[in-house]
Amino acid sequence: MKAVGARLPRYDGVGHVTGRTRFVDDVRIPGTLWAKALRSPHPHAGITHLDTSKAEQHPGVHAVITHEDVPRNVYGHLEGLGVPADEPLLAEDDVRYKGQPIAVVAAEDEATALEAVDLIEIEFEEREPLLDIRKAFDPDSRPFHQWGAAFPHFGPYTSRRIRKGDVEGAFERADTIVQGVYRPQAIEQLPIEPQVGLSVPEPDGRLTIYSCTQAMYFSMGVVAAHLEWPLNKLKFVGGTVGGGFGGKVDTATETITALLALKSNRPVKWRWTREEEFLCSSTRAPWHMEIADAVTADGWLLGRKMITLHDAGAYTRFSSYGVTKHSFHHTGAYTIPNLRFDGYVVYTNRSPTSAMRGFGVTSVSYAAEIQMNRIAEVLGLDPLELRLKNANRIGDLTANRVRLSDPSTVPVVLAAADRIGYDLSPEYRQMTNEPRSGELLPEHLLASVALDGPKSDGKGA
Amino acid sequence: MRLTVNGLERELSAPPLETLLNALRDELGITSPKAGCQQGGCGACTVLVDGEPRRSCLTPVVAVDGAAVTTVEALGEPGKLSPVQAAFYEQYGLQCGYCTPGFVLATTALLERNPSPSRDEILQELRGHMCRCTGYVKIVAAVEAAARGEVSDAARHAGATGPSREEPEVLVPGSPA
Repeated sequence: MKAVGARLPRYDGVGHVTGRTRFVDDVRIPGTLWAKALRSPHPHAGITHLDTSKAEQHPGVHAVITHEDVPRNVYGHLEGLGVPADEPLLAEDDVRYKGQPIAVVAAEDEATALEAVDLIEIEFEEREPLLDIRKAFDPDSRPFHQWGAAFPHFGPYTSRRIRKGDVEGAFERADTIVQGVYRPQAIEQLPIEPQVGLSVPEPDGRLTIYSCTQAMYFSMGVVAAHLEWPLNKLKFVGGTVGGGFGGKVDTATETITALLALKSNRPVKWRWTREEEFLCSSTRAPWHMEIADAVTADGWLLGRKMITLHDAGAYTRFSSYGVTKHSFHHTGAYTIPNLRFDGYVVYTNRSPTSAMRGFGVTSVSYAAEIQMNRIAEVLGLDPLELRLKNANRIGDLTANRVRLSDPSTVPVVLAAADRIGYDLSPEYRQMTNEPRSGELLPEHLLASVALDGPKSDGKGA
Repeated sequence: MRLTVNGLERELSAPPLETLLNALRDELGITSPKAGCQQGGCGACTVLVDGEPRRSCLTPVVAVDGAAVTTVEALGEPGKLSPVQAAFYEQYGLQCGYCTPGFVLATTALLERNPSPSRDEILQELRGHMCRCTGYVKIVAAVEAAARGEVSDAARHAGATGPSREEPEVLVPGSPA
């Protein structure tokens, strides 16, 4: 623990200030080709004709790949967790978001690669795009995804479900119902280093892949799966990331450059433009959250009903994982004993959404906190005292029935009040996160705490 | 085209309208200027042209024929950091490092012109530089530390390898180090 609290120099700082740090784009391998992609200009269309022969014959072009060149084109980011695959590396019969890659060219230089992309012959049959998650379940809405309007693999369900306590009873007992709708929008992670990868065929038949990924071993697994190669034929060089923020968890360039390198037997680099970064890379998801809370006049939260629509974009990627995290946190930092939650991963014709800084949780934390303010306003109570009253305490059970052993809500709210000079009544100022008793253990919470249950075993109660 | 790059005279074979960014990176192998947006929007490609910060991604090489170009490689090197480099290193004015060369060069030019800038002048000068990691607070702290000369010897010599040299030697002719 010597490092905790100490002011330590950054191990990479000298390299950064002297320009010596070698990012993927700075790696120089003689003979490197440039990759450029033909991307879908439509958010939703069938591909009726695709002919790359003119591009292949263009002087300076060394390889063109389409889905036919990918040993295993469809591979899912969560396949390792048992979630089936749904996303093709390169589009096959249809395109489902604007910017989806269809074919990729490797040529002597960037300009030649761009010329070759223009020579690819392609025809589309445009289809109506679905761009608003709220319309996905309309009776006249036709799902474009082979799995339907929403991800269907939450066990036997099409939503991540939480059922806890007697939510209908709570709503009958409530003095007031407080409702809120919350819609945080998509955000581009926007690292200053765009997506970039460089794959180098080695004389021993292996591939060296310079990667800007945030997740080396994960990306290695994705490339190996698409190539149907054993992992020991791949050497990944990475760990120097010019900003990621979640945007470099998805494997963006590695597999494509690997396939082009194998087809051309030359090193191949693919660096996205800033425009591609904005239009085609994954973003943080937009969310649609509807909350109804059963509350008492003196500020107890008896129950919560919640529906979440998570905009996955055109394919699943990590969305179901994000919604599961979201569901665990849907009560915020507060204890609500009776719950009914349904979280749907909804497909739209937008670029697939993915990781960004605590994805799944930040959206619901925002909604839960604004909802607390709304409840305080409706009831005419102090918003911080409302939080302290309903705060998680030792022994409380979370939405997914984890028994809390050291929840931080009370100390954090008290510290925040202190820092902003907030005037709390003495009764609230003296609160702790100790197990509930007396007035903090009203009848409606008796079933929701595990005072006599097993001590924290890490597995919940 | 002939340019003086980091004190050395270089002849470029790039076509006249090639960007200075690509000429530096691809022809001369100087990789500290980064292709962040290639639209003049992020500042990661900044170099000094005759001492002034310029967006190398928007600068055709023909426009700088005969000029002196300085990149961050020439300010200092591991073990012999310039005061501005040392301040960014010591004040944690960086995280991923992708925008850092641009910030260091812009700061160097600023302090050359105005050795004690106000906070507003610092913000004004650096407003064209995007950093997604730091939130800028520590970058401004680094600029202020450099302006006040609050840079430790340890930071100036950070990254030194091998036997320490008593006398700093200028390895790149014309380098301000």
